[in-house]
Amino acid sequence: MITAGLDLGTQSVKVVIVKDGKVVARSKAFSGFDPAQAAEQALGEALKEANLSMSDVRHVTSTGSGMEMAANSNSTVSMMGADAKAGVHLFPNARTIIDVGAEEARAVRCDDNGIMMDFVVNERCAAGAGAFIEAMARALEVKLEDMGLLSLKAERASSINASCVIFGESDVVSLIHKQESKPEIARAIFEAMADRVSSMVHRLGVNPEVLLVGGVAKDVGFVAALKRKLGVDILIPECPEYVGALGAALVAVNRVKKV
Amino acid sequence: MKSQSEEKKYMPELSEKEVEELRKAITDTSQRVVAENIEKMKKADQNRPEAMNYFDEIADFAQREKEIRAAKKEGKKVIGYMCLHAPTELILAADAIPVRVNSGWYDASKLGDRIVPVEVCPMVRSTIGAKMIALSPYLELSDALISVLTCDAMTKLGEILSDYTPVWAMTVPRVKDSAQSIRLWNEEIKAIKAQIEALTGNTIKGKQLKSAIERTQKATKAFRRLQDLRKGPPVIMGRDAMLVNQTYMWDDIDRWTEKTEALCDELEKRVSQKNWVCPTDTPRVMITGTPMIWPDNWKVPTLVEEANPQGILVADELCSSERLLYDPVGVDEWSISDMLNAIGERYLMASTCPCFTSEDGNEDRINWLLTKIKDWNIQGVIYYVVRGCMLYAMEYTRVKKVLDRNNIPVYYLDTEYTREDVGQMKTRVEAFLEMLSARIDI
Repeated sequence: MITAGLDLGTQSVKVVIVKDGKVVARSKAFSGFDPAQAAEQALGEALKEANLSMSDVRHVTSTGSGMEMAANSNSTVSMMGADAKAGVHLFPNARTIIDVGAEEARAVRCDDNGIMMDFVVNERCAAGAGAFIEAMARALEVKLEDMGLLSLKAERASSINASCVIFGESDVVSLIHKQESKPEIARAIFEAMADRVSSMVHRLGVNPEVLLVGGVAKDVGFVAALKRKLGVDILIPECPEYVGALGAALVAVNRVKKV
Repeated sequence: MKSQSEEKKYMPELSEKEVEELRKAITDTSQRVVAENIEKMKKADQNRPEAMNYFDEIADFAQREKEIRAAKKEGKKVIGYMCLHAPTELILAADAIPVRVNSGWYDASKLGDRIVPVEVCPMVRSTIGAKMIALSPYLELSDALISVLTCDAMTKLGEILSDYTPVWAMTVPRVKDSAQSIRLWNEEIKAIKAQIEALTGNTIKGKQLKSAIERTQKATKAFRRLQDLRKGPPVIMGRDAMLVNQTYMWDDIDRWTEKTEALCDELEKRVSQKNWVCPTDTPRVMITGTPMIWPDNWKVPTLVEEANPQGILVADELCSSERLLYDPVGVDEWSISDMLNAIGERYLMASTCPCFTSEDGNEDRINWLLTKIKDWNIQGVIYYVVRGCMLYAMEYTRVKKVLDRNNIPVYYLDTEYTREDVGQMKTRVEAFLEMLSARIDI
């Protein structure tokens, strides 16, 4: 059976096509001003990659903040539900799944069937999410993708306020003026973010195994800081930013079976 | 009473023009919100009980305002209160009109920001804002206000409102079950009785007090009947029941009782016909936490009942709804001192507000939540907190631990007096309901 999962995130749309439990194509597009259009484009590209047409797809499930906008979708699933489903599919022993995206961080506790049992979402400010790293990279005049490696060069971290992206940015600017080293500032940024995310996860309980997904899971600086804060090993799947879409595609399989 | 020339302690001097403009803007929004909320409630239940029509009418403030205005012309006094610890039987016994004045208008909270910081509870900021522009008919018609000092924000709210209206503060002891607490509270009850008598010029005698207690007991009976009907398969939408509960805060008590009984008659027929408002496997949700005041602060119940997957509110533990009237005053001997003691006991011991503590913490609230969960067959709890409400926010951890042990999912939903976060809240509420549905599926 072939199903598709669409994850309409705040920054990008991800598509995963699953055939008999295996991923056969992935595709991504910028959400921009028209997430529905982006989803259609990404879905088209994924189908092309897998040499399939829309009529081959039995069911499309969408997730993400824009899930209701997707025109081609047959059903929806919450982001937390999708994370739980995909997390346990990828790592059968995963019980805590942390998802850090562009503008939101969340964590899910699930059972061995990948059914979510509890979840937490960060407070409305994006200081614990990817947008924070972007803003800080801008302030440091460092490329976003270089931030992680830069932070790993530091032995210690400077101290910044991560209660708010805007205040954080002005903190970074004053640290630059004080001529603190860029690696130490970069490390401070990840420490501050990891602080926010880990206290959120602690509210849920840290139940191993712990899985980190979402675009920010690709950032080695953040991963190192979160490991230090949580004090446990953290698993990271390949293509962590596609986990939500994968979860949706797997939920789609169940939806077909139910009907 | 203070002289007119005395300077205000908190409130600014606004020009009449500004007050007029602000009031018009917020009143227009309010009327739209009332209409929208009722429209949505009608849509949610195509076969809505006919008896709800009355509550829709009384939910629009205009009708009751007119009645109270007319009663005032005939010499009646109106006594507003801001907390359910205020003993309304004493107000009724003095032939005065009790009316709760907490504000549910989102936009008014922005005006309150001019007086107190944004960190303060938005319900309190909104009540301040409402007073600044004479927005709430009930607040405006009140000849005096009873302010029960349950939390920090309420304590200062009374002080701020006293710039316009006489405010009688009642000190509520934070520990309920000690002899000195009960003594203090009973003294507070007597003191408030004296204030009410002085304002109205009516002495509260045994006969009037007995009658007021009995009228309130009748209201409690109708109120309980409605909540008990919600224990079974869903026969009424949660929002409809909440609106009925809420209108008690400003409606005429006897008429409210009669209309609620009529609604229950209609609902009982539906129960016998197995005529339910939604599929019986719809997740059954309870809300606990900070009060939700009509008309604006209706977003959480609306989100739950309009979500995909849908939920149904079958109970709440809110001082603006099911905690209002559930507990009757229990009198042994109808002597005035016994009646006053019974009122004191009812308004202190029955409350599960997180302002209380004891050796076991706020154990009464925990026990009551567990009772509700069991008797109303609750499948998930939404713990609702407005920012700035420290007591409810802090007690969450305790409640969550207990509910976790009982395998009842609970979700902490924090918000503000604003419409702008509905999208984000929807995502969370829907994820929670999806989780409940998945659990029910298993």
